[in-house]
Amino acid sequence: MLKLRIFLFRRLLFSIFVIFGLSIVIFIIARVVPGDPARMALGGKAPKEVVQRLRQEMHLDKTLPEQYFFWIRGVLSGDFGRSLRTGRTVLEDIKIFFPATIELVIFSGLLTVIFAILFGTLAAQHKNTWVDNLIRILSYFGVSIPAFVAAIIFLLLFGYYWTILPVLGRLSSGISYPTKITGLLTIDSLIQGNFVAFWDAFKHLILPSTALSLGRLFQEARITRSSMVENMHKEYITAERGYGIPERIIMFKYLLKPSLIPTVSIMGLDLAASFGNAFLVEMIFCWPGLSRYGINGMLTKDLNVISGVIILYGTIFVITNIIVDIILTFLDPRIRFSNR
Amino acid sequence: MKISKFIRFLRNGLFLVLVASLMLTLSCAGYTQQDVKAVRTTNVWTPFLDPALAINFINCVFYVNLYDSLIFPAMDGSLKPSLAKSWEISEDGLTYTFELVPGVKFHNGDELTADDVVFSLERIMTIGEGFGYLFTENVEGAKALEKYKVQFKLKKVFAPFLSVLVRLYILNQNQVMANINKDGYYEEFGDYGKAWLITHDAGSGPYKVKEMKIQEFLLMEKFNDYWGGWENKNAPQYVKEIGTNEAVTVRTLMSRGELEITDQWQSDENLVAIDQIPNTEMASFYSGTVMNIMLNTKKPPTDDIHFRKALSYCIDYKKIIEKIYPGSRPSGSVASSTPGYNPNLKPYTLDLAKAEMEIKQSSYYGKLDQYPFELYWCSGLVDEEKVALMVQANAAKLGIKVDIVKAPWINYIDKMATPETTPNGAIIFVAPSYAEAGSMLKSRYHSSTCGTTEQGEWLQDPEIDSMIEDAISTLDQKERFQKYYAIQEKIAGLCPTICILEKADKQVFRSDYVVFPVAELVKQGKPCNPIFGYSFYFRDFKVTPEKAQSPYAPFKP
Repeated sequence: MLKLRIFLFRRLLFSIFVIFGLSIVIFIIARVVPGDPARMALGGKAPKEVVQRLRQEMHLDKTLPEQYFFWIRGVLSGDFGRSLRTGRTVLEDIKIFFPATIELVIFSGLLTVIFAILFGTLAAQHKNTWVDNLIRILSYFGVSIPAFVAAIIFLLLFGYYWTILPVLGRLSSGISYPTKITGLLTIDSLIQGNFVAFWDAFKHLILPSTALSLGRLFQEARITRSSMVENMHKEYITAERGYGIPERIIMFKYLLKPSLIPTVSIMGLDLAASFGNAFLVEMIFCWPGLSRYGINGMLTKDLNVISGVIILYGTIFVITNIIVDIILTFLDPRIRFSNR
Repeated sequence: MKISKFIRFLRNGLFLVLVASLMLTLSCAGYTQQDVKAVRTTNVWTPFLDPALAINFINCVFYVNLYDSLIFPAMDGSLKPSLAKSWEISEDGLTYTFELVPGVKFHNGDELTADDVVFSLERIMTIGEGFGYLFTENVEGAKALEKYKVQFKLKKVFAPFLSVLVRLYILNQNQVMANINKDGYYEEFGDYGKAWLITHDAGSGPYKVKEMKIQEFLLMEKFNDYWGGWENKNAPQYVKEIGTNEAVTVRTLMSRGELEITDQWQSDENLVAIDQIPNTEMASFYSGTVMNIMLNTKKPPTDDIHFRKALSYCIDYKKIIEKIYPGSRPSGSVASSTPGYNPNLKPYTLDLAKAEMEIKQSSYYGKLDQYPFELYWCSGLVDEEKVALMVQANAAKLGIKVDIVKAPWINYIDKMATPETTPNGAIIFVAPSYAEAGSMLKSRYHSSTCGTTEQGEWLQDPEIDSMIEDAISTLDQKERFQKYYAIQEKIAGLCPTICILEKADKQVFRSDYVVFPVAELVKQGKPCNPIFGYSFYFRDFKVTPEKAQSPYAPFKP
């Protein structure tokens, strides 16, 4: 256990350096890209002195190291600056938009975990049968169709031909938003016993989260399948069969658990990456999430938004990886008890 | 294959999915029809609600509905009283005194007085953003003479001042001051209420903000105590602006009957497809927006007037309008829908013989291969690329090499800051801020706008500058318009811009239960409001949901 703590401490320490490095890289990239953000925000007709005033307010009249100093000083005290597009502080915007993305990513993550393991296990169990072949074909489609194409197809199917699901936003008009507790509408409405809002929010989640999860779901199902098929022929499985242990127990207790190691590693990365990848799905379904906010910030050179959103996503990436490492140590004790 | 328990589990799972689908279907079937009069429309982004911040179409639509101004632009381009019931102009043209309508209520019930007008003017001039430039340049200040009487003093004679006043939206001083953030930039005014006004309004207009969710939607509700009254019994009770213009989303919403009007940013192809949905109609009208190729007059080869004229004569304007921007029309530097445009001036047309004659007179003739013409088009606006390609193809006939550059808008802003970096040609749309040619001429050709995306020509012509200044300080409208004509003629002679067309704003709307006033005027051949934003004065819209045919999903407030 002590070794695990040392391992975690080291990972956290390295993570701080990674985030610090990321902050410098993104800060420089955002600023060296051509275009005056102050002029961009105020438009062509704004007088030069007003543009200059905004540049001063944003410290754009200072050298790059000075600008970084002002920015990082703000970030360390929780101030990411002000968004030129929404007029609010970036932190305030993050608090508003991030829950929508978290809800979408969590929901799509749940779909991924459930169906990736389900399809992977089924395909492995019925290796080289029609079940395996069907899942393989579905996987080819799933992996090769990008999330935004899947989103458009879903929109066409469920928004146009079979209009049973809502296609816009997080909640239908006429339904009041539950009082904000977590910002996740499904959770908040359940806490407050508002089942009408819960059901509506749940329906709104189905299409975007399915579109977002489709590619990685099938990719991970294939990885699970391959890993299980590989482990199936190992001697310890043969020995367990020889002892007469029921197939169901072998499958879930002795075969699935070690076979999930590569899947979990990929799942962690995919889950963190889906925060960034969600933007097109958010745009198509008019989902008021942070990824859409970030991409709009990039298109309009909203410097504080770009830096704030990327730092946040970088931190999520790092934390997710640490969590994945912890899960892996439980799945595979060799990692826990090795020289780390 | 023997069916394992696992397969049975899966089968049970599929059964659950089927049950869930059935429940979803039933929940939709239980949708009860309500006759709520509402207009739902899409837009690029949820708007800024603070009238001191922005000048573009997206925001102006909502300023017009949430706020009132002293003067209101009529559909024919003339001005009519609004909050100001009458006014007097001093003989020297420097003092304007307005008598306000008494008893006007803001949305929170406060009464609108002359103090609010003074506050709104000082606020927009101090902030300096949005339409602030229209006032900072010309207005010295304002004072409240009486509760309902306000006086403006100008720095210099500025004849279109009344036209400009349509862009001064009046805010409730007490409400704004009660919601300022003291840490702001504007000393004792803190942030001048900017943060609060992101999601609230402080106006007296016919509609008030009911709910604002940035990135998602703005919901406005009819203000029942509106001082102008509600003669129109079918005016929408609610207006919802949905913050997306994704083509597939807009098309889906329209096909589900969940949208009354599309945004104007859809491609022509998508608009035609949406127009195929039953009970829809396409509205096409003009708001003075001109598509220009701004030619940098300070950089070779476009510093040569004959080169510029040769380019102007070698463009197939007719084909561009027919094939790329159907419904649009030819234009000069000022669009024909803008009061003060010169009707006697003929726009350039395709004439290769003249183009050849001009290019031969150019100082670059014979060495054209050494002086390529760099033409920028704005990424995201794919139709601009088609125009650039057509220019390239025709210019090749004269031996002019056109280098097409795709650039994001931020690059435009950066490049156009200096004459050295401004490209030879840049395709840019420009619209007037107020309904007079002076607005376009000043922002497009006066030296004060060089270095911005308003003017890529770098004309810097003292004669043009003084002509513009003289025109906008001429109080007599007839005389002023004559001066505008002369400026337009002079500009056409210098040919610093290739004016491609006056763009038609197009939107598809539900014609079975929505009366879109601008579309009606266009049908009758009457002029429609040339100032952007005012075509969407929802108080004049008529919505009769009982006439709605399929597909229709009633609005639930």
